[in-house]
Parts: sequence; C-alpha cells; structure tokens
Amino acid sequence: MYLEQLLLVGVLGGAVLSLVGVGFTLVIGVGKVANFAHGAFVAVGMYLGYWIGHTLGLNPYVLFVPALLVFTLIGWGIAELFEWRGRKVGAIGELLVGLALLLLINGLLSVGFGPNPVTLSNVEMGSVSVAGTRIPGSEIYAAVFTLVVGAGIYVFLRGSRWGRALRAVAENPQSAALYGVRVPIAQRVAVTGSIALAGIAGLVISPFSVLTPDVGTNFLITAFAVIVIGGVGNTVGAVFAGLLIGVVDSLAIGYLSTVWTTLGPLLIILAFLLIRPVPVEI
Amino acid sequence: MNTRIFGLSVSALVALAVALAAGWFLLGALGAGTVAVLVLALYYAIPAASFNFLFGSLGVFSLAQAVFVAVGAYTDVYLYNVYGVSPWLSLLIAPVFAGIIALPIALASVRAGTGAVLTALITLIISEAIPPILIAIKPLGGAIGLYVKTKANPSFWDMQFGSGVSFARMFLVLNVLIIVFMMWWNRSRFGFFVRAIRDSPDASAAVGIPTARMRILTFVIAAALAAPAGVVFAQYSLETTADLFLGGTALFEVIVIALVGGAARAWGSVVGAVVIVYVANAMSNAANGAPGIGPLTFAAVFVVIAVAMPRGLSGTWALLADRRRRAAGGTLASPPAPAAEPEARPVDDHAHRATEHDVASG
Repeated sequence: MYLEQLLLVGVLGGAVLSLVGVGFTLVIGVGKVANFAHGAFVAVGMYLGYWIGHTLGLNPYVLFVPALLVFTLIGWGIAELFEWRGRKVGAIGELLVGLALLLLINGLLSVGFGPNPVTLSNVEMGSVSVAGTRIPGSEIYAAVFTLVVGAGIYVFLRGSRWGRALRAVAENPQSAALYGVRVPIAQRVAVTGSIALAGIAGLVISPFSVLTPDVGTNFLITAFAVIVIGGVGNTVGAVFAGLLIGVVDSLAIGYLSTVWTTLGPLLIILAFLLIRPVPVEI
Repeated sequence: MNTRIFGLSVSALVALAVALAAGWFLLGALGAGTVAVLVLALYYAIPAASFNFLFGSLGVFSLAQAVFVAVGAYTDVYLYNVYGVSPWLSLLIAPVFAGIIALPIALASVRAGTGAVLTALITLIISEAIPPILIAIKPLGGAIGLYVKTKANPSFWDMQFGSGVSFARMFLVLNVLIIVFMMWWNRSRFGFFVRAIRDSPDASAAVGIPTARMRILTFVIAAALAAPAGVVFAQYSLETTADLFLGGTALFEVIVIALVGGAARAWGSVVGAVVIVYVANAMSNAANGAPGIGPLTFAAVFVVIAVAMPRGLSGTWALLADRRRRAAGGTLASPPAPAAEPEARPVDDHAHRATEHDVASG
C-alpha cells in the first residue's frame, strides 16, 4: 500500500519534470543553446501562480492563457538575445547570457517575494482518493496537462511539417539548411517553445509546490538529468526520464534518509555521464 | 626591451611589488568598514582567479571552484580543532587535499567531453552534491558546520587576529602569489600546451601534447590555488559551513566576479572582485541592508557584462591595449588574450600564433 502511494506520487511529480525536460531537450537539441535560465523560468511561472493565488485571490489556472502568451513573448525576446550573443561571441556568449538571466531571476524573486520558502495554501480545487491516498485536484490537473501537452508535442514533432523541420535541425543543421529549412527560425521556435513550456509548467505546479527563489537551479539540474538519461533531442526519452526521476525521488523520500533524497538524483546523473557520455558536443 | 626573469617581465614584477606594498600600507590606514569589504573582495578574488586560470588557459567553465575553497576551510578547521595543527601549516596541506578531491572531478569532466556547457553543468551538479555529503559526515559538524576553537591569548601560529587588516593583507599576498604563478604559467611550456588544447584538441594531440594529462593537471592545479582562500577565510569568520561556501549565492558570486574581471589578464579577478563587491556593498547600504539586494546587484552587473563585454574588464583592456599597439605600428607583445571562444578570435590570429611559437621554442 505504502509502495503504491509512493509510486503514484512519484509518477505525478515526475510528469511535471518530464515537461520541463522536454523543453530543455528541445532547446539543446534544436536550438543548440544550453539555456541555463531554463529552470529559472519554471520558478517565474511558480511565483506568478503564487502571486495570482495569494495577492489577487484567484485560482492560478484562470490566467493560464494570458500567461502562456506572455511567456511566449518573453521567450521570443530571449531567443533573439541568445541568437545575437551566439552570433557575436559564440557558445560562451550564450552560456553567459543564460547564467546571467538565471542569477537575475533568482535575485529579483528573492527581493520581490523574500528569501524564505512560501506555499500557496488558499487555493482549493477538490481532491480524489486513489489507492488510499488523497490526491489534491491541482496535481490531477497538472498530470492531465502534462499528458495533453506531451502528446501534443509528440504529434507536432512527428506529424507536422514544422515538427519535421525542427527534428531535421536537431539532427544536422547544415543539411537541414540545404533542404530549405530556415534554421534560425527553427532555433528561435525551439527556444521560445521551451521557455513558454517552462513558465506554464511552473504556473501549473504552483498550487502544490514549495517555492523558494532559487528553485530554478534545482529545475535546471533536473532538466539536465532528463537529457542525460533520455538523450539530447529525444522527447520521448525525456518523458520517460522525467517519470523515472520522479519515481526514484519519491521512493528515496519514502525509504531512505534525507541525505539520499538530495544526493541520489545527482549521483544517478554522474553515473549516467560516466557510463554513457552525452554524444553531442555542447 | 622588456627584460625577463623565468619568463616573467621585470616591469610587471616591479608593478606587482609596488601594488603589493601600496596595498599593504593602504589597508593599515583604512577604516574598519572598508577593510571588511576589502577582505571579502580579496577573498572572492582567489577562487575567481582559480576559475579564470581554468577558463582562460583551458577553456574549461568550472562552477566547482567554490567546492575547493570549502575543502580548504574544512581541512583547516578540522585539523586545528582536533589535532591542533597550525592554520599556517594548513595553507600547505589544504591545496594537497583539494588537488586529491579535484582528481575524480577532473576525470569526470574530461571523460564526459570537452564542451564548455557540458563541463559547466557537470561541475554545477558536483557543487550541488557536495553540501549534502558534507552535512552527512558527522565529524564535520553536519548542517551547523565547524567552529574554530578560539583562544584567549592566541599566538601567531593560531592565525586568530583581532582586526580584519591582517586577514586582508594575507589575502592580498595570496592574490599576488597567484598572479605571479599565472603569469609564469602563461609563458611556460604548460601554458602553451593548454592553450593549444583549448584551440584545437585534435591538432595538439597529433603533435604529441598529452591532452588528457594536461587537462587533469590544470584542473588539479586550479583546485590547489583555490584552497588556501578557504583556510584564511575560515580563520577570519571563525567557522565553516557548507552554506558559507556553497550556498546558492556564494557559489555563483565566484563565477560572476571571475567573469566580470575577465581571464585575459592575471589581475582580472582582483579588479573584478574589488569593483563588484564594492558596488554590491554600496547598493546594499543604499537599500538599508534589505535582504537580497547584494545578490541582485551581482546579477545586474553580470547581465551588463554578459551583454556588453563578454571578455570581462581585463579582456576589454587587453583588446584596447592590442589595438593601441597596432596603431603605433608595433607587434603584439602581450600574451595572446584568451578569447572567450576560439571561433570568435580576432582575424590576426596568425600574429598570435607566431609569437607563441617563437617564445615556446626560444
């Protein structure tokens, strides 16, 4: 019984990690940009949800569509910024911009919302009972959201012309360009999409998460773990890797001491890196 | 013409000696508040120099340098509290420990690949993994950390000084030593090896440079450079905790200072540290010490640097100096500025390479 509960919690938590990881795998695979601020945008989404719920007293999900639009616009701006720095200074320029954005967002959140952890407690969305565990409605919504978005991205990448173009760029940008794919546009789309996805994922999980200003760094590491385990540019691999990390994390919390819950995932990443190095030069 | 001792230009050494002497006496004349800021700046400059040493010579973007500072601090406090080992001795022991701990980290990052981004992520993971490990080791005090056992009448060997001035002077001396070392390294055979590896791993392997060994050696030396800072800082703050060195902001502040200073010149990290710590302190004071203003200032300055001068203050200086020299019709006498990215190097790359080659064989 206890095991089933842990598995359930793990899958629900892992679903969100999958979503964050899918974005990161797109941005590295297609955009060829290691966006260090990827996790920070999850944090922005989380605090946006907190602000809506806490200050405005609304259900964070009400502002889902406007938030998506705003994140897409911001994402496009950031994509332009990466493109510009990449052209001028190369990969290091992009790395610097990502790192700078990560620190800036951490700093702004810390000044704006205080350095202490906060939770959103006044949002009630009902709950369901599965396998003897009470699961809050928000977590169900988050899982459904992940499922829908994950399936949508899969269909988009496999079925549409745009998706095929993105996959071609991930595979080989030079050849894709020769075949008429507008590589810079494809890369901007990947960066924009990943940032929008990260922000919205943050908004979706805000009702049941603990928010700290530097939570973005943790999400960056998880996203990195997802691409290391799932493979760069492999969205299906990213989904499974996210679920795996969620379940392992949940089991570690259930059965092992607290040291292992923080250390375990990091050791898994390092082990994976040593056994199977990342094939792409990033 | 510039005379050289062991490959170091005499004029640069004289300038350093003058700066050291001036700094030494200036520190004695400053108020306690300014000294406290300078202690922090000069302390941060050391791990930042260690980062720039790695990044400038090998192009390795390591976020793990703060780990080696923590290793130094824990080594010092543990040895002093348990065995009564003098911190002065720890200054020599800590680099050895840091080097040993750097070995597997270096192996992991060399094994994983050569990409700067990948190395950055791996070293970030390592620095996030170290605090839980430190906290789990019971003799190291867990989450509370270790406190230096203070004495009522400390002798010189206990390295417990009442005022910050002595610590600031110690950090100053450490910084100068590191600058001298880096100047020597850049001119030495090793310096040419690692720069060759950075610019073209395949070509340097083909001409017989032991690329893997040089990478690991450079990584280990960088770790050893960072460790003494931890020893002195632990004595200054009389404690060592994982959070002090590896907390969310402390970890990134080192990187920000290093990148603001730039890796093009050995003095980059010191200048970067003094500028940014001073600005952050001033901003924090202006906001009446509101929490988070200091780190936010770091971040804001970093954003400006990342967008406006990606090679940092010293990189921009080097660029201007070379331009001036070229305008005067001279040759490029300065060691080639470690460009942020090999592909993005200036067009007159051949001039750089030619100078390098001449010095290496001569």
